[in-house]
Amino acid sequence: MLNFKINSDKIDKIGNFTKEEKNFRLKNLDYFNDTGFPNKKSEDWKFSDLKAIVSKNFSKLDIQLSKSKKQKVDFIKDFEHNYIIVVNGELTMSDFKYEEKSNIILKSFTNDNYPNKKEKNPLINLNHALSDKGFFLEIKENYKFKKILVIYYLFTKDLDENILNSKNKIKIGKNSELHLLDYFVNDSKKNFFNNVYEDIVLENSAILKNIYLQNSKSSGYFHKYSKNKLLSGSHYTSFIFPAGLKFNKLDLEFDLEGEKSECNLQSASFLDGKEHQEIKTRINHLSPNCKSHQKVKNVLNAESKGVFQGKIFVKDVAQKTDAYQLSKAILLSESSEFDSKPELEIYADDVKCSHGSTSGNLDKDSIYYLMTRGLTQLESKQLLVNAFLNEIADIIKSNSIRNFIKTKLETQLLNEYKKH
Amino acid sequence: MKKQNVNYNQDYKYGFTTDIENIKAPKGLSEKTIRFISKIKKEPKWMLDWRLKAFNRLKVSKEPNWQKPKYPKIDYQDLYYYSAPKSMIDKPKSLDEVDPKLIETYNKLGIPLNEQKKLSGVAVDAVFDSVSVATTYKEELTKKGIIFCPISEAIQNHPDLVKKYLGSVIPISDHYFATLNSAVFTDGSFVYIPPNTRCPMELSTYFRINASETGQFERTLIIADKGSYVSYLEGCTAPMRDENQLHAANVELIALDDAEIKYSTVQNWYPGDEDGVGGIYNFVTKRGACRGKNSKISWTQVETGSAITWKYPSCILQGDNSVGEFYSIAITNNHQKADTGTKMIHLGKNTKSKIISKGISAGKADNTYRGLVDIGRKALNSRNYTQCDSLLMGNKCGAHTVPYIKNKNSSSTIEHEATTSKINEEQLFYCNQRGLNQEEAVSLIVNGFCKEVLQQLPMEFAVEAQKLVGISLEGSVG
Repeated sequence: MLNFKINSDKIDKIGNFTKEEKNFRLKNLDYFNDTGFPNKKSEDWKFSDLKAIVSKNFSKLDIQLSKSKKQKVDFIKDFEHNYIIVVNGELTMSDFKYEEKSNIILKSFTNDNYPNKKEKNPLINLNHALSDKGFFLEIKENYKFKKILVIYYLFTKDLDENILNSKNKIKIGKNSELHLLDYFVNDSKKNFFNNVYEDIVLENSAILKNIYLQNSKSSGYFHKYSKNKLLSGSHYTSFIFPAGLKFNKLDLEFDLEGEKSECNLQSASFLDGKEHQEIKTRINHLSPNCKSHQKVKNVLNAESKGVFQGKIFVKDVAQKTDAYQLSKAILLSESSEFDSKPELEIYADDVKCSHGSTSGNLDKDSIYYLMTRGLTQLESKQLLVNAFLNEIADIIKSNSIRNFIKTKLETQLLNEYKKH
Repeated sequence: MKKQNVNYNQDYKYGFTTDIENIKAPKGLSEKTIRFISKIKKEPKWMLDWRLKAFNRLKVSKEPNWQKPKYPKIDYQDLYYYSAPKSMIDKPKSLDEVDPKLIETYNKLGIPLNEQKKLSGVAVDAVFDSVSVATTYKEELTKKGIIFCPISEAIQNHPDLVKKYLGSVIPISDHYFATLNSAVFTDGSFVYIPPNTRCPMELSTYFRINASETGQFERTLIIADKGSYVSYLEGCTAPMRDENQLHAANVELIALDDAEIKYSTVQNWYPGDEDGVGGIYNFVTKRGACRGKNSKISWTQVETGSAITWKYPSCILQGDNSVGEFYSIAITNNHQKADTGTKMIHLGKNTKSKIISKGISAGKADNTYRGLVDIGRKALNSRNYTQCDSLLMGNKCGAHTVPYIKNKNSSSTIEHEATTSKINEEQLFYCNQRGLNQEEAVSLIVNGFCKEVLQQLPMEFAVEAQKLVGISLEGSVG
């Protein structure tokens, strides 16, 4: 089996760091080298044996050092938007033509925070040790974005058995509002690993609406850890539409620190082939009167595997918490698999917490009904699957954006059906 | 051994001790202790070898540490692994020869050991510390070909059955406590129901830990042959002591074609006092195998006692069309901790399982449901339904749900639901308005909350369990 130990001299190659930062990186590299890529023995990775996946598909993992070249971008023409372009994790271009620029700060990411604690997740350690790219975006107080901001995440053709480590930070000031579309476009046909650390802070009464959309399937291996801090009255909504990758794990952690903060997560995905996708959430209710709502939908075909690990934690002071979680999966093939672990850890009594998890095939009666109306069996199935997944996209309020997302999803699905 | 008891406390009515002279194995866990146990039980060599094999395995295995309740390290060398009333050395032939003090103890516990109480119609095997004291109704059962006896007797009289099935569901290398039990188990019940026989009465075992510094390691083995049916009850109590006692039992159930086993437990080991001093560590491995087609295993448990409860009665659904059920009420109060649930492992086609779990947490207690539903690739058309509800009383306690759900084929369906809440104020108000005081109202609502599970219990137990539910929560309101 491949040994993915990384030499400490790699850190010097990334850049020149202050003594403090270098120590922080070295320490984290040690942590990573101790454990390596996580495997099934680790509780958080029980259903996704990354060590096995990496050693099976990679012969080496190079840290990508060369500067990213300018990329031609296929801009979205369906609606007006501001944009940021990120190539292989690196911030290259931005345009805020619809906004007052004085309210926006955008720069390349620089680390100024070196937490001492050992992270449980070795991939975060790896990111701490090696990250050299990313951006920092801050929206000042009392500013509402007029148009949506699209972040184009582009991956270039020359990526081949590389590992990219980047860190992004987004801070939304008091009473500000931002709508965001994370749009992934991948040109690489080869395997590469993208390891992202994201840090999001919502100040009092801030609003963030986020859509995560992968344009097409690719051979990227993605891992993203996202840490979100929500202060009083802030509101976070996220829609996740992954296209299906060889490996894709989203590890999302939310701290509802301020009273009356609210967090909504929705996800819909269609997996095929040997794709592997895991969504892991941890919602920490730390103050009274907070709300959280999660809905994760998966359709699994061929030999794909879907995983959902969701945890709701309610601290003893967090009375009047309202937390809800639902994961649903449709298994279309005998060889597909869906694993879930919906967890509740509750220390306050005046709460309303519930979760549900279902998995199974399409309802035979529904298919029969549609066939009596003249549809073929395949058409009936497609209709039911589309309806199942569209329920998530239908929640999006803006017409132009919803239609754009729906068209994207439908083309993705059509491509799937053509294959079979 | 006559250690001072903790003050007799109204809340735990089984907290008395019986002063009976005991024979004990040498203190500590060693090959010597195992040989001693095996010798005193007059076991054949194959049994001793089996124990020693487990002991060797134990040397290399480690105590698990993933569970939620943490406990101080157990000193396995500071425990007695065998303790028996002296009068039991030469086994009494009938109940008349049994030490009257023992009979009195069981009478205090309300166990119908005496044949006079024939009308209650439950065959009882009573286990006092490490030995089985008496088994009632033997004759009637023998007529039907049913074997119901202490496992130590079965090892001598029915070695073929024991050899064939012992350790076939819980292998000796399973995990630390199961291995420990395999090495030092002292007694327990053995049940064999012959083909096409319906056991005419409920079989019951009553476990009691009396001596101090002892652990109880009982082993139960139930085999239901083709087309048979048995309902088995298990009850447990222990005296109140300010030390922690270990109870690590293994229970194995085997259901062959068309057989059904119903296993009910009312567990009321001493839970420790209000400050969490003392109490039993209840680390139990219970597992049933539905080996045959159309077989069924149903677990019902009411867990009110023990300082720490840690058990997952499981079903391995091997036979096609087999059914597994799990009904549980776990009540924790004061400093009690419970980490309990089930595993349903679907291997055969058309297998079904149902899990109903009700957790109630009060005081400073922690209650965790932890379960696994695993539907294998070949278990086509399988079905699982899981419902876990938790009730919290007060904001110092915790309720947790940790289900693992794996579905590996498309023709199977899994549904899982869980809720956590407190008692609805409006319901309480309504009850108060009708003249019930706060405590009665809570008791009524809790009983309603648990009803689905209580209904599954046999009559004799249902009444006791309902009372227990009330008692366990006393003082937790207001």
